[in-house]
Amino acid sequence: MRMPRRALAAAVVALVLPLSACGSGGDDSGSTDASGKVEGDITFQTWNLRANFKPYFEGLVADFEKKYPGTHVKWVDQPAEGYADKISADAAGGTLPDVVNVSPDLAAPLAKAGLALDLDKAAAKYKKEYLPDAWASHEIPGMDGTYAFPWYLNTGPLFYNKSLFKEAGLDASKPPKTYDELFADALELADKSDGKVATLANVPSIEDFGRYGVDLMNKEGTAFAFNDAKGVQLLTKYKELYDAKALDPQALTATPESSGKKFLTGAVAMNPGSALDLGNFKKQAPNLYKNIGITDQITSTGKVNMYVMGLMVNAQTKKKPAAVAFAHFVTDAQNQMSFAKKVAIFPSTAGSLDDPYFTKEDGTDETRVRIAAAKSLKNAANYTPVLFSDQMKTELQNNVAKALQGKVSPKEALDNAVKACDRLLQQQG
Amino acid sequence: MASSSSTSTSTSTSTSTSVPARVRRQLPTSPWLFAAPGLLVVGIFILYPFVSTLINSFTDRRTLVPGEFVGLANFRELLHDEMFWIGLRNSTLYVLGVVPALVLLPLLLALLVQKNIPGIGFFRSAFYTPVVASIVVVGLIWVWLLDERGLVNSLLEAIGVGRVGFLSDQWLLLLSAMAVTVWKGLGYYMIIYLAALANVPRELHEAAAVDGAGTVRRFLTVTVPAVRSTMVLVGALSSVAAFKVFSEVYLMAGPNGGPAGEDTTLVMLVQRTGTGLTGRVGYASAISVVVFVVTVALMLLVLRADRKEDA
Repeated sequence: MRMPRRALAAAVVALVLPLSACGSGGDDSGSTDASGKVEGDITFQTWNLRANFKPYFEGLVADFEKKYPGTHVKWVDQPAEGYADKISADAAGGTLPDVVNVSPDLAAPLAKAGLALDLDKAAAKYKKEYLPDAWASHEIPGMDGTYAFPWYLNTGPLFYNKSLFKEAGLDASKPPKTYDELFADALELADKSDGKVATLANVPSIEDFGRYGVDLMNKEGTAFAFNDAKGVQLLTKYKELYDAKALDPQALTATPESSGKKFLTGAVAMNPGSALDLGNFKKQAPNLYKNIGITDQITSTGKVNMYVMGLMVNAQTKKKPAAVAFAHFVTDAQNQMSFAKKVAIFPSTAGSLDDPYFTKEDGTDETRVRIAAAKSLKNAANYTPVLFSDQMKTELQNNVAKALQGKVSPKEALDNAVKACDRLLQQQG
Repeated sequence: MASSSSTSTSTSTSTSTSVPARVRRQLPTSPWLFAAPGLLVVGIFILYPFVSTLINSFTDRRTLVPGEFVGLANFRELLHDEMFWIGLRNSTLYVLGVVPALVLLPLLLALLVQKNIPGIGFFRSAFYTPVVASIVVVGLIWVWLLDERGLVNSLLEAIGVGRVGFLSDQWLLLLSAMAVTVWKGLGYYMIIYLAALANVPRELHEAAAVDGAGTVRRFLTVTVPAVRSTMVLVGALSSVAAFKVFSEVYLMAGPNGGPAGEDTTLVMLVQRTGTGLTGRVGYASAISVVVFVVTVALMLLVLRADRKEDA
């Protein structure tokens, strides 16, 4: 039977019409002017924060709406898993919220696609309220401007299992402070435990190369450079550890979550963490908690690694004044301080880290870790290059794994990783 | 009377001709209207993504950048991409490892639980339970079991075999993932075989037994020929599913696809390449097209083998 033309046309229209809604949103990305009356409805998206901090954010939204009558903030929260995918789907579909919780590596592709508002232009007056390094953390190489308000910072110590150190005949009161000490202790632990106790659960990541003092990118930020002599030296040391079983056998496929579990079960002796982890140890591994040792991150540069969270304003928002005002409101000194008192994070606002909350001891481990972290943050660096994508992380990890397995030399592995990352960098545009 | 009768006939004739006329008028559009909801769903969720993927495979589209037509560049790049060949190898190995097991083992299981003996319902349910369990939960449980310090390794160590790197050796990882796929799929295909076995005439078995055929002989000469078309169906379904494997390997080998990515399958590669803010949608689409072509080829191969047997 032939389909009548009208029916065919109707079917085509029925099919195509809903699809036409899948295109990008309207183009309103040209202006960076955020002046004007703060009013209207905006959407604010956080990254896995509702479960633990619902009352805090509801209060924050209520305070903002009270301060600016005529505004309405819809708060949405997305789970940690697949967060980048959710943002990319929203960005591609033109449904990106007005204010979005991002890390610098998430902000970079959004800024390049013209979806992040340049705050050096739209919110320059607020710049002085933040730590200079924190404000600069959302600058994108190859672009002018800053593309997110710095929000909370985090860093953490290196935890170690004192009983495993003692069993190996090591002095648990003297944890390694330098890379050389770390490698020596790790080899001894593996030797004394007959390869049953590893010291580390992860292969070196880009942050490890950064902390070791390797130049990660060239000065222009146009190519990667972690295949230099220092990078090769670090990977060669890790190869020694892997061969001696001082690295966990499953390190080649490890994720931060799986490494944390290995440490909890006493399968590895050391693991990086944050002040948040102490609560976990207390609850999930009381025996480990009794034997927990806390030491500083090991670094050859004198600067510990710092994680930065930011709030990006959607460049296509129809309510720029309200979106900018809200992003600033959430990240201002008062609200960051009040958030920091609820959870072990650190404000990115100037002067906040001098607050007695971050300087005065009260004898508890939590406070000790918090004070040490706040102190180290004053001289910290975000070692993950903002242009280092997930695909690049995979390339690095897989090439490092090949070197550890002995399939290629450390130099060859890093050369291959740099080549692959450079190719991905060029494809990013 | 005659007049009255004539009028009545005329009215009845007029009514009987007018109804079919109205039905005939509605015929051309009515079926399409009835089919519209289904067509709409198929169009939006199957046809559009399919055509879109096909078009994207010829572009350099990225997540946030529309991209331009690049001809066959993506497919040429595939030929030189080591990870693509690793993915193709692993997906093919998965089919070779999993399909024979999923064609045979559920049949044997179905023969076991086919008998109506007391308590057999429990065993049928037990074998089917993994099918309804979440693959994520199942995957995590198997990861715990096969971990370097998990239950399986503890037992192996206790009996003096020593620890085995189920989750750290690239081949053992792939085998472990295959085992989970087979374990999880047994119950599903067992149910399909149970339905097929119910249609095998009991007389055939009785006749074969009278002729002196033993259990194995009856299985080979009565049961297998009777359920052959079901075996082909199971073979086709399981080979397509095996070639597109993702969850089991992702959960057990990690997001990078095992040590140095050596356990990556093609669908994992699609996910890794095409998602995220910097995802290469065009290139990932090209891999998807290859997956589609191979999948269709697998189906045709199985069906062709079946037709040959029939001939």
